[in-house]
Amino acid sequence: MAKKIKVLLAKLGLDVHNRGIITVAKELGDAGMEIVYIGNSLPREIVQTAIQENVDVIGVSSLGGAHLTLGKPLIDVARQEELTDSVAFVIGGVFPPDDAVRLKEIGFDAVFTPGATRDEIVHAIQGLVEKKTH
Amino acid sequence: MNDKERTTKEILTEKSSARERTPLYNPAALLILRKEFAGWMQSAVREKDRKAWLKTPRTVLGSDIPREMLYTPLSHPDFDYREELGNSGQEPFTRGIHANMYRGREFTMRQLTGFGSPEDTNERIKFMLDHGATGLNILFDIPTIQMYDSDDPLSQGQVGMSGVCIDSVDDMDLLFQDIRLDEITASIVTHYPSNTAILFPMYLALAEERGIPWEKLRGSVQNDTSLEELIRSGAEFIAPRDCFRIQCDNIAFIRKNVPQWNFITLNGYNLREFGTSGVTEMAVAVANGIATLAEMVRRGYDVDSVADRLSFFWSPASDFFEEVARLRAVRRLWYKIMKHRFQAKNPRSMWMRCHVQTSGASLVQQEPLNNVIRAAYHALSAVLGGAQSLHVDSYDEAYSVPTEEAALLSLRTQQILQEETGIIDVVDPLGGSYYIETLTSDIEKRILDEVDEIERAGGYVSAIESGLLHRKISAYFYNQQQEIEKGDIKIVAYNQYKSESAPPPINVFRYPGGVEERQREKLARLRQSRDNERVGVALTELRDACKKGINILPHSVACARVRCTEGELFKVFKEAFGLWKPPALW
Repeated sequence: MAKKIKVLLAKLGLDVHNRGIITVAKELGDAGMEIVYIGNSLPREIVQTAIQENVDVIGVSSLGGAHLTLGKPLIDVARQEELTDSVAFVIGGVFPPDDAVRLKEIGFDAVFTPGATRDEIVHAIQGLVEKKTH
Repeated sequence: MNDKERTTKEILTEKSSARERTPLYNPAALLILRKEFAGWMQSAVREKDRKAWLKTPRTVLGSDIPREMLYTPLSHPDFDYREELGNSGQEPFTRGIHANMYRGREFTMRQLTGFGSPEDTNERIKFMLDHGATGLNILFDIPTIQMYDSDDPLSQGQVGMSGVCIDSVDDMDLLFQDIRLDEITASIVTHYPSNTAILFPMYLALAEERGIPWEKLRGSVQNDTSLEELIRSGAEFIAPRDCFRIQCDNIAFIRKNVPQWNFITLNGYNLREFGTSGVTEMAVAVANGIATLAEMVRRGYDVDSVADRLSFFWSPASDFFEEVARLRAVRRLWYKIMKHRFQAKNPRSMWMRCHVQTSGASLVQQEPLNNVIRAAYHALSAVLGGAQSLHVDSYDEAYSVPTEEAALLSLRTQQILQEETGIIDVVDPLGGSYYIETLTSDIEKRILDEVDEIERAGGYVSAIESGLLHRKISAYFYNQQQEIEKGDIKIVAYNQYKSESAPPPINVFRYPGGVEERQREKLARLRQSRDNERVGVALTELRDACKKGINILPHSVACARVRCTEGELFKVFKEAFGLWKPPALW
């Protein structure tokens, strides 16, 4: 049997909107993944918890506008900790269209905007984990 | 049994069975109609439609209330105009709280404004006022809402986003530069009881410094426990009971000292937008209203001295007739609660006054101009339902806060409704419709049933503490998401009629740069220049008030005067009350 995919989920910064990430947490849980949800957290805290928990995926959510100002530090800290080769980084939320592109350039492996379905998210994560662990 | 031991539903049920009825339809006519209806059903209605006579509209944030194919007097045969409607401005206020409604006072066009620094938002406020907005509606940035200073490590990268940043009374001064506080009505969207107790005192201190007596200030704060404890995602929470106490402290202080100010906005809006039905939205807000008034009565206040300044805040979503019926239903229910549960004497105490904002969660990114249409329908339902004031969401809010152009279009949407359509000339124009009246009664019953569920679980605060409401809401929105993904709930250009071509570029609002740095510098200067000894004393006295159970507001006003920052006050709350871990949502 394949190893259970372990996903760390967090709200980026102080953003108040958590309906999306809770929905995703349930959906990924239903798809057989192990979820560690740490709520509102800053980049360094997210990366440190990810290392302790030895996760395969870090998923963050941002609907308050801080996707770049906190998303970039998250990837930077992860690079310093040499996490980006082995862990998949995904982000979901509400972004201006150009920023969705920019988030990929920064180093997020997948960017989900409103309209992403459960199947799309689950398949993308499975594919990314496959790629990163081989 | 006395009223304290009975649920609101039990009290209202008893009152309703005791009243004299004056049904509108005569029994002989109903008998004939019933017979003819049965014949029509067999001869004119196809078998397929007969079998599916009841159909449940599947809509975003809908209530899953089944509807008949055709409504007739038989849908609601004991319809009683005097008991259920009355004329406008008359008990039970179903048709509106004023006899002349919009002929007397048009709905207030109150567009939300807030982004960047206080100076940035001040400019946008003046732009909206110059273009005919009739009220202010100020939204704060995420660190301010969450009660952290702009220089707190937790605020990094988020200052001035989704709203305007306010750290101290000096920022409040910049926000209201060139605006006469005694000439405007300001809705200050403080969200939580805790930040109401922090930010509103800054507004009061500013008025004092400008020589404006508090008696002349008009406007509202939100001050709603649901927002702080049920809906919010946050790093640190105080417990629901402490939060509810602050909510009531705010009410007591503002009632006494700022008599024209609306001290609580029972907020259904954000709860519904978080993801729940229109029925649950209203039930939770009404349950909070009941709990709040019960607490104020326990504190020794006459119910009429508090109830006349309560107001509500609702989200109208896409099931058009349900939205119209909902506003009418909750207006009638609130009247009954005030009259029978609280024995209010002043008719004003029985008014369900409300601000309505079109549903933001119903906006989609795909083909964003379609959102203009969605918001216009939401706004139309709010006006037909008799709302007092209105905000229309902008089409680009599916991406970011609105551009100036989009914000103006929202204001124009309201002005077109008001000036061009003629709908404001007749009060409650849908009243008397077989459909609307049946639906109004059905929704009223459903709201009361959910209020009863909350009261039987120990009441509003207990239902938050135990996680009952958290679980109910997360189950709703999870289920709704699955229905949208399956296409059972249809959204145009999102899961239906999807466009194959690449979307046209959209001009999206960009936050002004450098706000965080400027706020940091401002705060550094403030911490240097203020009298830090007085700051220390003020904070200590606030801490004592929190612990002793006396009203904290006089002390938080004292803090604002000596230029304590928002984060400093929140720190006092956290120390005095301790932290609470909210129930998991999944």
